[in-house]
Amino acid sequence: MDALGLPSAPAAGGIAGVDREPFELFLIHEGRLLDEREFEAWMELFTEDGLYWVPSTSGEPDPYNQASLFFDDRQLMKTRIERLRHPRIHIQTPPSRTNHMVSNVVVEEADEKAGTYLVSSSMMMGEFRLDVQRIFIGRQFHRLVREGDSFRIALKRVNLINCDTAFEAMAVPI
Amino acid sequence: MFDGTPDEISKLIEPGRVHRRVYTDEDIFELEMERIFNRAWMFAGHTSQIPNIGDYITTDIGRQPIIFIRHKDGSPQVLLNRCAHRGPKLCNDPCGNARALTCLYHGWSYDTDGSLIDVAMPEGSAPHFDKKDFGLAKAARMGEYRGFIFVSFAEKGASFDEFLGPMKANIDDLVDRAPEGAISLDAGIHRYFFRGNWKLQVENVLDSYHVPFSHASTVNKKGEQFSRREGDKEGAQVIDEKKGKKESTSDVWKGRRSYVVDFGHGWTSNTELKEGERSSPAYDAYKEALAAKVGHERMEEILAPEFHNSLLYPNCSIMGLNMHVRVIRPVTTDLTEVTVYPVKLVGAPDEMNAANIRLLNVTHSAASFVQTDDLEAFRRTQVGLQSVQSDWIDLSRGMGEEQADSHYNATSESAMHEMAIRAQYQAWLYYMCEAA
Repeated sequence: MDALGLPSAPAAGGIAGVDREPFELFLIHEGRLLDEREFEAWMELFTEDGLYWVPSTSGEPDPYNQASLFFDDRQLMKTRIERLRHPRIHIQTPPSRTNHMVSNVVVEEADEKAGTYLVSSSMMMGEFRLDVQRIFIGRQFHRLVREGDSFRIALKRVNLINCDTAFEAMAVPI
Repeated sequence: MFDGTPDEISKLIEPGRVHRRVYTDEDIFELEMERIFNRAWMFAGHTSQIPNIGDYITTDIGRQPIIFIRHKDGSPQVLLNRCAHRGPKLCNDPCGNARALTCLYHGWSYDTDGSLIDVAMPEGSAPHFDKKDFGLAKAARMGEYRGFIFVSFAEKGASFDEFLGPMKANIDDLVDRAPEGAISLDAGIHRYFFRGNWKLQVENVLDSYHVPFSHASTVNKKGEQFSRREGDKEGAQVIDEKKGKKESTSDVWKGRRSYVVDFGHGWTSNTELKEGERSSPAYDAYKEALAAKVGHERMEEILAPEFHNSLLYPNCSIMGLNMHVRVIRPVTTDLTEVTVYPVKLVGAPDEMNAANIRLLNVTHSAASFVQTDDLEAFRRTQVGLQSVQSDWIDLSRGMGEEQADSHYNATSESAMHEMAIRAQYQAWLYYMCEAA
C-alpha cells in the first residue's frame, strides 16, 4: 500500500462478477469532460476531499515526501482551473486540444456494501498545440465512491510511463 | 565566418543592448560551452543527494555527463561519466549505490574515486599500459559550501572562494532556516525543457519586471498571487487596483531591489509578505523546533529572510521564497533543460517540508501555475529572435541608476530594471573573451 492506500500489486484480472461497464462509461465521461475543457464539471466529479495525483517518479509511494507533476486537492484544482479560465494564461494561448482514450479497464477492488471501488485502466491522452503533438500514456487508478447512478472520485492517480522525463510545459490535467 | 575572437565577441554586447545572435547562433553556442561551461564554477550536486558511501547520482553539467558519487573515504567526487577505455557512459541509472563502477562494454572497473581497478584480460595490455593513466576524468577543481558542490573543468581561473564571494549569504539565508543547519535535496526532482536558449532562463531568474504580466494568470482579482508558503494567509501583492487603472504593478512589488556582485551573480530582495501573521500548526511547530536549536532571537532573525532568489551564474539559482535549487542545462542553441530540486529543511516537522514539496508542484513543476508561463515566454522569444529586421535586444532599463550598496558590498537597483541582466552579460564577456 502506498501513502494514499493504493495497493502496490493490484489483483491480476480484477474482481470476477462485477460488471465493468458502468466504470468504463464513467472513465470515458471523465476524459471527455477534460477534452471539452469542462474543467469545473471535471472537478465536481471529485469528492470534497478528493485527490488528483500524477507522480514524477516511477513507483512513487508518497506524494507528501516527493515532487509530483500534479498533486491537487480540491482547493488547488480550483486555483488551477481559475488560471485555465484566465484570459492571459499564455501557455494556453492558443489552448491545447486533447483527446483521452481509456481501455483495459479492470475493477481491482469492490465493496458493494460500502459502494467503494478501485478501478485501473490504461489511458492515453493526445495533446496538440502550436504544431506540436505529443502523447501521454500510462496506467491510471481511480478510487471511486458510488453516488446514485454514478460515482465520485476519491483519488485519481496516473502513472505515466515517462513520468520522470523532462517535459515541455503542460497546462491541462491529464 | 565567426572565429570567436575577443574583437568579434565584444561587438555583440553594447551598453544596454545585446545582439540577437547571442541567442540564435550555433557557433556562439559552441563557444559558450567551451569558454563558459568549461571555465566557470558550476553547481554539480548537494552532498545530501549521496548520504552513504557508494551512493551516486548521474547528471549533466552543460553537455558533459557526470557521476556525483560518495567515495570510500567519505569524500564527494565528481567524475566524468565516460569509460576511459573506449568512451561508453559508465552509469546509466539516475541514482544508485555502487562499490565499483564497471563498464558494460569491455568490463573495465573503477573505484568510487575514479581510479582504474581492473582491466579484463590484462595479459593483452600493451607493454606501456599503466592503469594509473586510465582513471576516470574528473572536474579539474571542486569546491563545497554547506553541502553545495561546485566544480570547474578549468585548471586555472578564479578560486571557488572568489567565485562564491558574497553569494555565501544567500546560501546561509536558506540553510540557516533548517533547525539542524542543513538542507536536504532528496525530495525528488522536477524536470522541464523549453525550445529556447539557456540564457533566457538565466535572465528570467532576476527579472522582477515580468511578473505582473507573464504571471497575470496567477493573480486574483485583488491583485494578490496565490499564497505560497505554509502558514501564509495570502500571497504577494503584485498588482494594485488604483487610479481607475485596473492592472498596474503594485507599489510593494515595485519596491523590490536587485543586487549584483562579480561573476554575473545576483539576487533580489525578499518579497514582502505578512511575516508576523504567518501561522499554522506546522509552521508554529517549525518555529519552536528552530528556536530550540538557535534561540528565540536568532529564530526571529532567520525567519525574516532577506532574499527572494539568487543566481549563481551561469547554471544555478537558489530560491528562498518557495525553497528550491534550480539547475540550468543548455542542450542546443534553442533547447534548454532545467532541473528543480525541492529543498527540505533538516530538523523541521515533516508537515513543513511536505508543504514546500507540494508548493513546488504548483510553482515549478512542468505542470505548474508559474513556471509554465515563463516557458511560453522563452519559447516565443526564441521564435521572435529569428527575425533579422532588428538585430538588438534592449536591456537598458535603469541604466545610470545603479547604486553602490555598502551593506552587501554589491551594486543595487530597482528590481524592475535590467541591471542584473546587464551584469550577466559582463560576466559572459569575461568568460568568452578574457578568462584563461
